[in-house]
Amino acid sequence: MTNANTPIIQIRNVYKFFGQLTALNDVCLDIQPGEKVVVIGPSGSGKSTMLRSINRLETVDKGSIIVDGKDVNDPANDINAIRQELGMVFQSFNLFPHRTVIGNLTMAPTRLKKVPKDEAEATALSLLKKVGISDKAHVYPSNLSGGQKQRVAIARALAMQPKIMLFDEPTSALDPEMIGEVLDVMVNLAREGMTMVCVTHEMGFAREVADRIVFMDQGQILEVGTPDHFFTNPEHPRLQKFLEQIL
Amino acid sequence: MTVEKKEIRIAVTDGMLIPSSKDKSFVSAWMISLCIAVGSILFLCITKPKPYYEILKFLPDGILITFEVTIASIIVTIPIGLITGLGRLSKNKTINLIASTYVEIIRGIPLLVQLFFIYFALGEFVQLPDLTAAIIAMSVCYGAYMGEVFRAGIDAIDKGQTEAARSLGFNPRQTMFLVVLPQAWRTILPPVGNEFIALLKDSSLVSILAVSELLRRGREYASVTFEYFEAYLMVALIYLCITLLMSKAVSIMEARLNYYDER
Repeated sequence: MTNANTPIIQIRNVYKFFGQLTALNDVCLDIQPGEKVVVIGPSGSGKSTMLRSINRLETVDKGSIIVDGKDVNDPANDINAIRQELGMVFQSFNLFPHRTVIGNLTMAPTRLKKVPKDEAEATALSLLKKVGISDKAHVYPSNLSGGQKQRVAIARALAMQPKIMLFDEPTSALDPEMIGEVLDVMVNLAREGMTMVCVTHEMGFAREVADRIVFMDQGQILEVGTPDHFFTNPEHPRLQKFLEQIL
Repeated sequence: MTVEKKEIRIAVTDGMLIPSSKDKSFVSAWMISLCIAVGSILFLCITKPKPYYEILKFLPDGILITFEVTIASIIVTIPIGLITGLGRLSKNKTINLIASTYVEIIRGIPLLVQLFFIYFALGEFVQLPDLTAAIIAMSVCYGAYMGEVFRAGIDAIDKGQTEAARSLGFNPRQTMFLVVLPQAWRTILPPVGNEFIALLKDSSLVSILAVSELLRRGREYASVTFEYFEAYLMVALIYLCITLLMSKAVSIMEARLNYYDER
Protein backbone atom coordinates (compact mmCIF):
# COMPACT_ATOMS: atom_id res chain seq x y z
CA MET A 1 0.00 0.00 0.00
CA THR A 2 1.03 3.56 -0.55
CA ASN A 3 2.35 5.45 2.43
CA ALA A 4 -0.41 7.64 3.83
CA ASN A 5 1.87 10.65 3.64
CA THR A 6 2.70 10.24 -0.04
CA PRO A 7 0.14 11.94 -2.26
CA ILE A 8 -1.36 9.56 -4.82
CA ILE A 9 -1.74 12.47 -7.24
CA GLN A 10 0.83 15.26 -7.40
CA ILE A 11 0.13 18.15 -9.73
CA ARG A 12 3.16 20.42 -9.83
CA ASN A 13 3.35 23.85 -11.50
CA VAL A 14 1.21 22.83 -14.44
CA TYR A 15 0.57 25.13 -17.38
CA LYS A 16 -1.66 24.50 -20.37
CA PHE A 17 -2.20 26.87 -23.27
CA PHE A 18 -4.92 26.82 -25.91
CA GLY A 19 -3.50 29.32 -28.41
CA GLN A 20 -3.57 32.67 -26.61
CA LEU A 21 -5.67 31.32 -23.77
CA THR A 22 -3.98 30.11 -20.59
CA ALA A 23 -6.20 27.22 -19.54
CA LEU A 24 -4.02 26.17 -16.59
CA ASN A 25 -1.81 28.72 -14.92
CA ASP A 26 0.75 27.34 -12.45
CA VAL A 27 -1.60 24.77 -10.91
CA CYS A 28 -0.30 22.81 -7.91
CA LEU A 29 -2.37 20.25 -6.02
CA ASP A 30 -1.58 17.16 -3.96
CA ILE A 31 -4.22 14.54 -3.32
CA GLN A 32 -3.83 11.89 -0.64
CA PRO A 33 -5.00 8.27 -1.04
CA GLY A 34 -8.62 7.98 0.03
CA GLU A 35 -9.16 11.70 -0.16
CA LYS A 36 -12.26 13.19 -1.81
CA VAL A 37 -11.55 16.44 -3.60
CA VAL A 38 -14.30 18.48 -5.20
CA VAL A 39 -13.31 21.09 -7.76
CA ILE A 40 -15.64 24.03 -8.33
CA GLY A 41 -15.47 27.19 -10.35
CA PRO A 42 -17.17 29.09 -13.16
CA SER A 43 -17.21 27.58 -16.64
CA GLY A 44 -13.97 28.10 -18.50
CA SER A 45 -12.02 28.20 -15.24
CA GLY A 46 -9.87 25.23 -16.24
CA LYS A 47 -11.32 22.72 -13.80
CA SER A 48 -12.20 20.13 -16.46
CA THR A 49 -8.86 20.69 -18.19
CA MET A 50 -7.05 19.99 -14.92
CA LEU A 51 -9.07 16.83 -14.33
CA ARG A 52 -8.52 15.61 -17.88
CA SER A 53 -4.80 16.25 -17.66
CA ILE A 54 -4.57 13.81 -14.73
CA ASN A 55 -5.18 10.88 -17.10
CA ARG A 56 -3.59 12.72 -20.03
CA LEU A 57 -6.71 13.23 -22.08
CA GLU A 58 -5.13 16.68 -22.20
CA THR A 59 -1.37 16.98 -22.38
CA VAL A 60 0.09 19.80 -20.31
CA ASP A 61 2.63 22.25 -21.71
CA LYS A 62 4.69 22.73 -18.54
CA GLY A 63 4.98 21.13 -15.14
CA SER A 64 4.43 17.54 -14.05
CA ILE A 65 1.59 15.31 -12.97
CA ILE A 66 2.54 12.22 -10.99
CA VAL A 67 -0.07 9.53 -10.40
CA ASP A 68 0.79 6.75 -7.97
CA GLY A 69 4.50 7.48 -8.40
CA LYS A 70 4.44 7.61 -12.21
CA ASP A 71 4.79 10.75 -14.30
CA VAL A 72 1.87 10.61 -16.77
CA ASN A 73 3.72 12.75 -19.33
CA ASP A 74 6.91 10.68 -19.31
CA PRO A 75 6.98 8.71 -22.60
CA ALA A 76 8.86 5.95 -20.77
CA ASN A 77 5.75 5.21 -18.71
CA ASP A 78 2.94 3.22 -20.34
CA ILE A 79 0.05 5.66 -20.28
CA ASN A 80 -2.44 2.84 -20.96
CA ALA A 81 -1.33 1.09 -17.77
CA ILE A 82 -1.59 4.32 -15.77
CA ARG A 83 -5.07 4.95 -17.15
CA GLN A 84 -6.20 1.54 -15.89
CA GLU A 85 -5.67 2.90 -12.37
CA LEU A 86 -7.79 5.97 -13.11
CA GLY A 87 -11.53 5.51 -13.62
CA MET A 88 -13.10 8.35 -15.56
CA VAL A 89 -16.75 9.41 -15.68
CA PHE A 90 -17.79 11.95 -18.32
CA GLN A 91 -20.53 14.54 -18.46
CA SER A 92 -21.98 12.92 -21.58
CA PHE A 93 -21.68 9.30 -20.27
CA ASN A 94 -19.91 8.04 -23.40
CA LEU A 95 -21.24 4.51 -23.08
CA PHE A 96 -20.46 2.28 -26.05
CA PRO A 97 -23.82 2.17 -27.89
CA HIS A 98 -22.99 -1.00 -29.83
CA ARG A 99 -22.50 -3.06 -26.67
CA THR A 100 -25.08 -4.09 -24.09
CA VAL A 101 -24.77 -2.73 -20.57
CA ILE A 102 -22.89 -5.82 -19.41
CA GLY A 103 -20.79 -5.69 -22.57
CA ASN A 104 -19.77 -2.15 -21.67
CA LEU A 105 -18.67 -3.37 -18.24
CA THR A 106 -16.78 -6.49 -19.32
CA MET A 107 -15.01 -5.18 -22.42
CA ALA A 108 -12.04 -3.57 -20.68
CA PRO A 109 -11.42 -6.20 -17.97
CA THR A 110 -11.56 -9.12 -20.43
CA ARG A 111 -9.40 -7.43 -23.08
CA LEU A 112 -6.92 -5.55 -20.91
CA LYS A 113 -6.65 -7.61 -17.74
CA LYS A 114 -7.42 -10.97 -19.37
CA VAL A 115 -10.11 -11.65 -16.80
CA PRO A 116 -12.07 -14.79 -17.85
CA LYS A 117 -15.44 -13.88 -19.36
CA ASP A 118 -17.64 -15.53 -16.71
CA GLU A 119 -15.64 -13.96 -13.90
CA ALA A 120 -15.86 -10.51 -15.55
CA GLU A 121 -19.61 -10.95 -15.97
CA ALA A 122 -20.06 -11.92 -12.32
CA THR A 123 -18.12 -8.82 -11.25
CA ALA A 124 -20.13 -6.71 -13.68
CA LEU A 125 -23.42 -8.00 -12.29
CA SER A 126 -22.41 -7.25 -8.72
CA LEU A 127 -21.35 -3.74 -9.78
CA LEU A 128 -24.67 -3.21 -11.54
CA LYS A 129 -26.43 -4.35 -8.38
CA LYS A 130 -24.39 -1.82 -6.44
CA VAL A 131 -25.48 1.03 -8.71
CA GLY A 132 -29.06 -0.29 -8.66
CA ILE A 133 -29.65 -1.44 -12.24
CA SER A 134 -28.97 -5.16 -12.33
CA ASP A 135 -32.23 -5.67 -14.26
CA LYS A 136 -30.84 -3.73 -17.24
CA ALA A 137 -27.72 -5.86 -17.77
CA HIS A 138 -28.69 -7.10 -21.22
CA VAL A 139 -30.23 -4.02 -22.83
CA TYR A 140 -28.43 -1.56 -25.07
CA PRO A 141 -27.55 1.87 -23.62
CA SER A 142 -30.03 3.65 -25.91
CA ASN A 143 -32.83 2.12 -23.84
CA LEU A 144 -31.64 3.68 -20.59
CA SER A 145 -32.51 7.02 -19.01
CA GLY A 146 -29.75 9.59 -18.47
CA GLY A 147 -29.41 8.73 -14.79
CA GLN A 148 -29.21 5.02 -15.57
CA LYS A 149 -26.60 5.67 -18.27
CA GLN A 150 -24.42 7.60 -15.88
CA ARG A 151 -24.70 4.88 -13.24
CA VAL A 152 -23.65 2.31 -15.85
CA ALA A 153 -20.73 4.59 -16.78
CA ILE A 154 -19.63 4.67 -13.13
CA ALA A 155 -19.92 0.88 -12.94
CA ARG A 156 -17.92 0.54 -16.16
CA ALA A 157 -15.09 2.60 -14.69
CA LEU A 158 -15.22 0.61 -11.44
CA ALA A 159 -15.03 -2.69 -13.34
CA MET A 160 -11.33 -2.00 -13.95
CA GLN A 161 -10.86 -1.69 -10.17
CA PRO A 162 -9.15 1.68 -10.36
CA LYS A 163 -7.39 3.29 -7.42
CA ILE A 164 -8.76 6.72 -8.25
CA MET A 165 -12.04 7.90 -9.76
CA LEU A 166 -12.23 11.09 -11.78
CA PHE A 167 -15.64 12.70 -12.34
CA ASP A 168 -16.03 15.40 -14.96
CA GLU A 169 -19.35 17.15 -14.21
CA PRO A 170 -21.17 13.80 -13.95
CA THR A 171 -24.60 15.32 -13.31
CA SER A 172 -24.52 18.37 -15.61
CA ALA A 173 -26.22 16.64 -18.54
CA LEU A 174 -28.95 15.08 -16.43
CA ASP A 175 -32.58 16.04 -15.90
CA PRO A 176 -32.97 17.41 -12.36
CA GLU A 177 -34.96 14.42 -11.11
CA MET A 178 -32.15 12.05 -12.09
CA ILE A 179 -29.30 13.87 -10.38
CA GLY A 180 -30.11 12.36 -6.98
CA GLU A 181 -29.73 8.71 -8.08
CA VAL A 182 -26.28 9.40 -9.53
CA LEU A 183 -25.12 11.40 -6.50
CA ASP A 184 -26.29 8.58 -4.21
CA VAL A 185 -23.99 6.17 -6.04
CA MET A 186 -21.11 8.63 -5.73
CA VAL A 187 -21.75 9.19 -2.01
CA ASN A 188 -21.70 5.43 -1.42
CA LEU A 189 -18.47 5.16 -3.36
CA ALA A 190 -16.95 7.91 -1.22
CA ARG A 191 -18.00 6.09 1.97
CA GLU A 192 -16.20 2.98 0.76
CA GLY A 193 -12.97 4.96 0.81
CA MET A 194 -12.37 5.50 -2.92
CA THR A 195 -10.02 8.33 -3.83
CA MET A 196 -12.17 10.75 -5.79
CA VAL A 197 -11.59 13.93 -7.75
CA CYS A 198 -14.86 15.45 -8.80
CA VAL A 199 -15.59 18.51 -10.91
CA THR A 200 -19.18 19.48 -10.15
CA HIS A 201 -21.66 22.24 -9.50
CA GLU A 202 -23.50 20.19 -6.87
CA MET A 203 -22.75 22.13 -3.70
CA GLY A 204 -24.80 19.79 -1.53
CA PHE A 205 -22.63 16.89 -2.65
CA ALA A 206 -19.47 18.94 -2.06
CA ARG A 207 -20.57 19.80 1.46
CA GLU A 208 -21.46 16.20 2.24
CA VAL A 209 -18.52 14.19 0.94
CA ALA A 210 -15.57 16.50 0.19
CA ASP A 211 -12.52 16.40 2.40
CA ARG A 212 -11.32 19.46 0.56
CA ILE A 213 -12.86 21.80 -1.96
CA VAL A 214 -10.75 23.47 -4.64
CA PHE A 215 -11.93 26.72 -6.21
CA MET A 216 -10.56 27.59 -9.65
CA ASP A 217 -10.91 30.66 -11.82
CA GLN A 218 -9.12 31.64 -15.04
CA GLY A 219 -6.82 28.63 -14.90
CA GLN A 220 -5.66 29.21 -11.36
CA ILE A 221 -6.43 27.57 -8.03
CA LEU A 222 -7.57 30.49 -5.90
CA GLU A 223 -8.60 28.73 -2.71
CA VAL A 224 -8.42 25.26 -1.15
CA GLY A 225 -10.18 24.35 2.04
CA THR A 226 -12.57 22.14 3.97
CA PRO A 227 -16.29 22.44 3.19
CA ASP A 228 -16.76 24.15 6.57
CA HIS A 229 -14.24 26.81 5.74
CA PHE A 230 -15.61 27.19 2.24
CA PHE A 231 -19.23 27.75 3.04
CA THR A 232 -18.83 29.70 6.32
CA ASN A 233 -15.93 32.06 5.69
CA PRO A 234 -14.62 32.02 2.13
CA GLU A 235 -11.62 34.33 1.85
CA HIS A 236 -11.00 35.13 -1.81
CA PRO A 237 -13.37 37.87 -3.08
CA ARG A 238 -13.83 35.95 -6.36
CA LEU A 239 -14.98 32.88 -4.42
CA GLN A 240 -17.31 34.98 -2.25
CA LYS A 241 -18.91 36.37 -5.40
CA PHE A 242 -19.13 32.90 -7.00
CA LEU A 243 -20.81 31.39 -3.93
CA GLU A 244 -23.22 34.32 -3.68
CA GLN A 245 -24.33 33.69 -7.22
CA ILE A 246 -24.89 29.96 -6.97
CA LEU A 247 -26.18 29.47 -3.42
CA MET B 1 -15.64 30.57 -27.64
CA THR B 2 -15.69 30.36 -31.41
CA VAL B 3 -18.99 30.48 -33.21
CA GLU B 4 -19.26 27.55 -35.54
CA LYS B 5 -20.35 28.33 -39.03
CA LYS B 6 -23.36 26.40 -40.16
CA GLU B 7 -22.44 24.12 -42.97
CA ILE B 8 -24.90 23.16 -45.63
CA ARG B 9 -24.07 19.97 -47.40
CA ILE B 10 -25.55 18.50 -50.51
CA ALA B 11 -24.84 14.81 -50.72
CA VAL B 12 -25.44 13.39 -54.16
CA THR B 13 -23.87 10.05 -54.93
CA ASP B 14 -23.32 8.34 -58.20
CA GLY B 15 -24.56 4.91 -57.14
CA MET B 16 -28.28 4.46 -56.55
CA LEU B 17 -30.98 5.79 -54.30
CA ILE B 18 -30.90 3.38 -51.39
CA PRO B 19 -34.55 2.60 -50.57
CA SER B 20 -35.38 3.63 -47.01
CA SER B 21 -35.73 0.57 -44.79
CA LYS B 22 -38.49 2.38 -42.89
CA ASP B 23 -40.59 2.87 -46.00
CA LYS B 24 -43.11 0.03 -45.85
CA SER B 25 -45.43 1.21 -48.61
CA PHE B 26 -45.65 -1.08 -51.60
CA VAL B 27 -45.52 1.62 -54.25
CA SER B 28 -42.06 3.18 -54.30
CA ALA B 29 -39.65 4.41 -56.94
CA TRP B 30 -37.70 1.22 -56.35
CA MET B 31 -40.72 -1.02 -56.86
CA ILE B 32 -41.86 0.84 -60.01
CA SER B 33 -38.36 0.68 -61.50
CA LEU B 34 -38.05 -3.03 -60.80
CA CYS B 35 -41.46 -3.70 -62.34
CA ILE B 36 -40.49 -1.74 -65.44
CA ALA B 37 -37.17 -3.61 -65.76
CA VAL B 38 -38.46 -7.12 -65.14
CA GLY B 39 -41.73 -6.46 -66.97
CA SER B 40 -39.94 -5.17 -70.06
CA ILE B 41 -37.61 -8.16 -70.21
CA LEU B 42 -40.52 -10.59 -69.88
CA PHE B 43 -42.68 -8.68 -72.33
CA LEU B 44 -39.94 -8.49 -74.96
CA CYS B 45 -38.90 -12.12 -74.61
CA ILE B 46 -42.49 -13.35 -74.84
CA THR B 47 -43.75 -11.13 -77.63
CA LYS B 48 -40.56 -11.07 -79.69
CA PRO B 49 -38.51 -14.11 -78.62
CA LYS B 50 -36.40 -13.58 -81.70
CA PRO B 51 -34.11 -11.66 -81.15
CA TYR B 52 -34.77 -10.78 -77.47
CA TYR B 53 -34.87 -14.27 -76.01
CA GLU B 54 -31.81 -15.14 -78.13
CA ILE B 55 -29.97 -12.15 -76.66
CA LEU B 56 -31.03 -13.08 -73.12
CA LYS B 57 -29.58 -16.57 -73.60
CA PHE B 58 -26.35 -15.09 -74.93
CA LEU B 59 -25.70 -12.72 -72.00
CA PRO B 60 -25.34 -14.84 -68.79
CA ASP B 61 -21.59 -15.47 -69.37
CA GLY B 62 -21.13 -11.71 -69.40
CA ILE B 63 -23.22 -11.24 -66.24
CA LEU B 64 -20.96 -13.75 -64.53
CA ILE B 65 -17.83 -11.85 -65.55
CA THR B 66 -19.41 -8.57 -64.42
CA PHE B 67 -20.04 -10.11 -61.02
CA GLU B 68 -16.52 -11.51 -60.91
CA VAL B 69 -14.96 -8.12 -61.62
CA THR B 70 -17.28 -6.38 -59.15
CA ILE B 71 -16.91 -8.81 -56.26
CA ALA B 72 -13.15 -9.20 -56.62
CA SER B 73 -12.76 -5.42 -56.82
CA ILE B 74 -14.92 -4.94 -53.72
CA ILE B 75 -12.81 -7.42 -51.77
CA VAL B 76 -9.59 -5.63 -52.72
CA THR B 77 -11.13 -2.17 -52.34
CA ILE B 78 -12.24 -2.49 -48.71
CA PRO B 79 -8.75 -2.87 -47.18
CA ILE B 80 -7.35 -0.19 -49.53
CA GLY B 81 -10.19 2.13 -48.54
CA LEU B 82 -9.76 1.43 -44.83
CA ILE B 83 -6.02 2.04 -44.94
CA THR B 84 -6.51 5.19 -47.01
CA GLY B 85 -9.24 6.48 -44.70
CA LEU B 86 -7.13 5.86 -41.58
CA GLY B 87 -4.16 7.45 -43.35
CA ARG B 88 -6.19 10.55 -44.15
CA LEU B 89 -7.09 10.83 -40.44
CA SER B 90 -3.55 10.11 -39.24
CA LYS B 91 -1.77 12.76 -37.21
CA ASN B 92 1.48 11.53 -38.76
CA LYS B 93 2.16 14.13 -41.45
CA THR B 94 3.94 11.77 -43.87
CA ILE B 95 1.26 9.08 -43.76
CA ASN B 96 -1.45 11.71 -44.07
CA LEU B 97 0.26 13.29 -47.07
CA ILE B 98 0.75 9.97 -48.85
CA ALA B 99 -2.92 9.02 -48.38
CA SER B 100 -4.18 12.46 -49.39
CA THR B 101 -2.00 12.57 -52.49
CA TYR B 102 -3.23 9.14 -53.57
CA VAL B 103 -6.84 10.27 -53.20
CA GLU B 104 -6.16 13.56 -54.98
CA ILE B 105 -4.44 11.98 -57.96
CA ILE B 106 -6.97 9.20 -58.42
CA ARG B 107 -9.95 11.49 -58.15
CA GLY B 108 -8.50 13.83 -60.74
CA ILE B 109 -8.18 11.26 -63.49
CA PRO B 110 -11.16 9.72 -65.28
CA LEU B 111 -11.62 6.05 -64.53
CA LEU B 112 -11.48 5.16 -68.21
CA VAL B 113 -8.09 6.86 -68.57
CA GLN B 114 -6.85 5.10 -65.43
CA LEU B 115 -7.99 1.77 -66.81
CA PHE B 116 -6.03 2.31 -70.02
CA PHE B 117 -3.03 3.60 -68.12
CA ILE B 118 -2.84 0.82 -65.52
CA TYR B 119 -3.57 -1.83 -68.11
CA PHE B 120 -0.81 -0.71 -70.46
CA ALA B 121 1.60 0.40 -67.72
CA LEU B 122 1.29 -2.98 -66.05
CA GLY B 123 1.74 -4.57 -69.46
CA GLU B 124 5.19 -2.96 -69.71
CA PHE B 125 6.45 -4.98 -66.73
CA VAL B 126 4.29 -8.06 -66.25
CA GLN B 127 1.97 -9.97 -68.47
CA LEU B 128 -1.25 -10.18 -66.48
CA PRO B 129 -4.49 -11.79 -67.60
CA ASP B 130 -6.92 -9.09 -68.77
CA LEU B 131 -9.35 -9.87 -65.98
CA THR B 132 -6.68 -9.43 -63.28
CA ALA B 133 -5.50 -6.15 -64.79
CA ALA B 134 -9.07 -4.90 -64.85
CA ILE B 135 -9.64 -5.83 -61.22
CA ILE B 136 -6.41 -4.12 -60.12
CA ALA B 137 -7.32 -0.95 -62.00
CA MET B 138 -10.86 -0.84 -60.60
CA SER B 139 -9.58 -1.45 -57.04
CA VAL B 140 -6.91 1.24 -57.16
CA CYS B 141 -9.48 3.72 -58.34
CA TYR B 142 -12.33 2.79 -56.01
CA GLY B 143 -9.92 2.46 -53.07
CA ALA B 144 -9.52 6.22 -53.20
CA TYR B 145 -13.28 6.86 -53.28
CA MET B 146 -13.83 4.33 -50.53
CA GLY B 147 -11.06 5.94 -48.48
CA GLU B 148 -13.07 9.16 -48.40
CA VAL B 149 -16.17 7.29 -47.26
CA PHE B 150 -14.25 5.54 -44.48
CA ARG B 151 -12.65 8.81 -43.44
CA ALA B 152 -16.00 10.57 -43.15
CA GLY B 153 -17.58 7.64 -41.29
CA ILE B 154 -14.79 7.36 -38.74
CA ASP B 155 -14.63 11.12 -38.32
CA ALA B 156 -18.35 11.24 -37.57
CA ILE B 157 -18.02 9.09 -34.43
CA ASP B 158 -18.20 11.24 -31.30
CA LYS B 159 -14.77 12.01 -29.83
CA GLY B 160 -16.21 11.06 -26.44
CA GLN B 161 -16.21 7.42 -27.56
CA THR B 162 -12.47 7.53 -28.16
CA GLU B 163 -11.88 9.33 -24.88
CA ALA B 164 -13.95 6.78 -22.96
CA ALA B 165 -12.03 3.89 -24.51
CA ARG B 166 -8.64 5.51 -23.98
CA SER B 167 -9.45 6.38 -20.36
CA LEU B 168 -10.26 2.72 -19.70
CA GLY B 169 -6.74 1.90 -20.85
CA PHE B 170 -7.28 0.78 -24.45
CA ASN B 171 -4.48 1.71 -26.86
CA PRO B 172 -5.28 3.60 -30.09
CA ARG B 173 -5.51 0.42 -32.18
CA GLN B 174 -7.85 -1.36 -29.75
CA THR B 175 -9.93 1.82 -29.56
CA MET B 176 -10.25 1.90 -33.33
CA PHE B 177 -11.16 -1.76 -33.79
CA LEU B 178 -13.30 -2.34 -30.68
CA VAL B 179 -15.10 0.97 -30.34
CA VAL B 180 -14.85 3.31 -33.35
CA LEU B 181 -15.03 1.00 -36.39
CA PRO B 182 -17.95 -1.15 -35.17
CA GLN B 183 -19.96 2.06 -34.84
CA ALA B 184 -18.61 3.72 -37.97
CA TRP B 185 -19.53 0.69 -40.05
CA ARG B 186 -23.19 1.56 -39.61
CA THR B 187 -22.89 5.13 -40.86
CA ILE B 188 -20.57 3.97 -43.61
CA LEU B 189 -22.70 1.15 -44.94
CA PRO B 190 -25.16 3.11 -47.12
CA PRO B 191 -22.44 5.15 -48.90
CA VAL B 192 -20.23 2.04 -49.15
CA GLY B 193 -23.12 0.13 -50.67
CA ASN B 194 -23.58 3.01 -53.03
CA GLU B 195 -19.93 2.84 -54.06
CA PHE B 196 -20.35 -0.89 -54.73
CA ILE B 197 -23.29 -0.17 -57.01
CA ALA B 198 -21.32 2.56 -58.76
CA LEU B 199 -18.45 0.08 -59.06
CA LEU B 200 -20.70 -2.51 -60.68
CA LYS B 201 -21.91 0.06 -63.20
CA ASP B 202 -18.37 1.28 -63.90
CA SER B 203 -17.27 -2.31 -64.46
CA SER B 204 -18.85 -1.85 -67.89
CA LEU B 205 -15.80 0.28 -68.70
CA VAL B 206 -13.50 -2.73 -68.55
CA SER B 207 -15.20 -3.98 -71.70
CA ILE B 208 -12.59 -1.93 -73.56
CA LEU B 209 -9.85 -4.12 -72.02
CA ALA B 210 -11.12 -7.15 -73.90
CA VAL B 211 -12.82 -8.45 -70.77
CA SER B 212 -15.96 -10.16 -71.87
CA GLU B 213 -18.38 -8.75 -69.31
CA LEU B 214 -22.04 -7.92 -69.78
CA LEU B 215 -21.68 -4.88 -72.03
CA ARG B 216 -19.04 -6.49 -74.24
CA ARG B 217 -21.14 -9.63 -74.51
CA GLY B 218 -23.98 -7.48 -75.83
CA ARG B 219 -21.67 -5.87 -78.35
CA GLU B 220 -20.33 -9.26 -79.44
CA TYR B 221 -23.88 -10.40 -80.11
CA ALA B 222 -24.75 -7.24 -82.03
CA SER B 223 -21.60 -7.28 -84.12
CA VAL B 224 -22.76 -10.56 -85.63
CA THR B 225 -26.46 -9.86 -86.03
CA PHE B 226 -26.32 -6.04 -86.34
CA GLU B 227 -29.20 -5.81 -83.84
CA TYR B 228 -27.49 -3.07 -81.85
CA PHE B 229 -30.62 -1.47 -80.46
CA GLU B 230 -32.08 -4.75 -79.26
CA ALA B 231 -28.83 -5.98 -77.71
CA TYR B 232 -28.09 -2.77 -75.82
CA LEU B 233 -31.70 -2.53 -74.64
CA MET B 234 -31.41 -5.94 -72.99
CA VAL B 235 -28.02 -5.05 -71.54
CA ALA B 236 -29.45 -1.86 -70.04
CA LEU B 237 -32.44 -3.67 -68.54
CA ILE B 238 -30.24 -6.34 -66.98
CA TYR B 239 -27.92 -3.73 -65.46
CA LEU B 240 -30.99 -2.02 -64.04
CA CYS B 241 -32.28 -5.25 -62.49
CA ILE B 242 -28.92 -5.97 -60.87
CA THR B 243 -28.41 -2.49 -59.42
CA LEU B 244 -31.98 -2.37 -58.10
CA LEU B 245 -31.51 -5.69 -56.32
CA MET B 246 -28.18 -4.50 -54.91
CA SER B 247 -29.70 -1.30 -53.55
CA LYS B 248 -32.40 -3.33 -51.84
CA ALA B 249 -29.78 -5.62 -50.32
CA VAL B 250 -27.93 -2.59 -48.93
CA SER B 251 -31.16 -1.28 -47.46
CA ILE B 252 -31.86 -4.61 -45.73
CA MET B 253 -28.33 -4.76 -44.32
CA GLU B 254 -28.69 -1.20 -43.08
CA ALA B 255 -31.82 -2.12 -41.16
CA ARG B 256 -30.05 -5.11 -39.63
CA LEU B 257 -27.23 -2.89 -38.36
CA ASN B 258 -29.68 -0.69 -36.48
CA TYR B 259 -30.06 -3.38 -33.81
CA TYR B 260 -28.79 -1.24 -30.96
CA ASP B 261 -31.00 1.76 -31.63
CA GLU B 262 -33.82 2.88 -29.44
CA ARG B 263 -36.88 0.72 -29.74
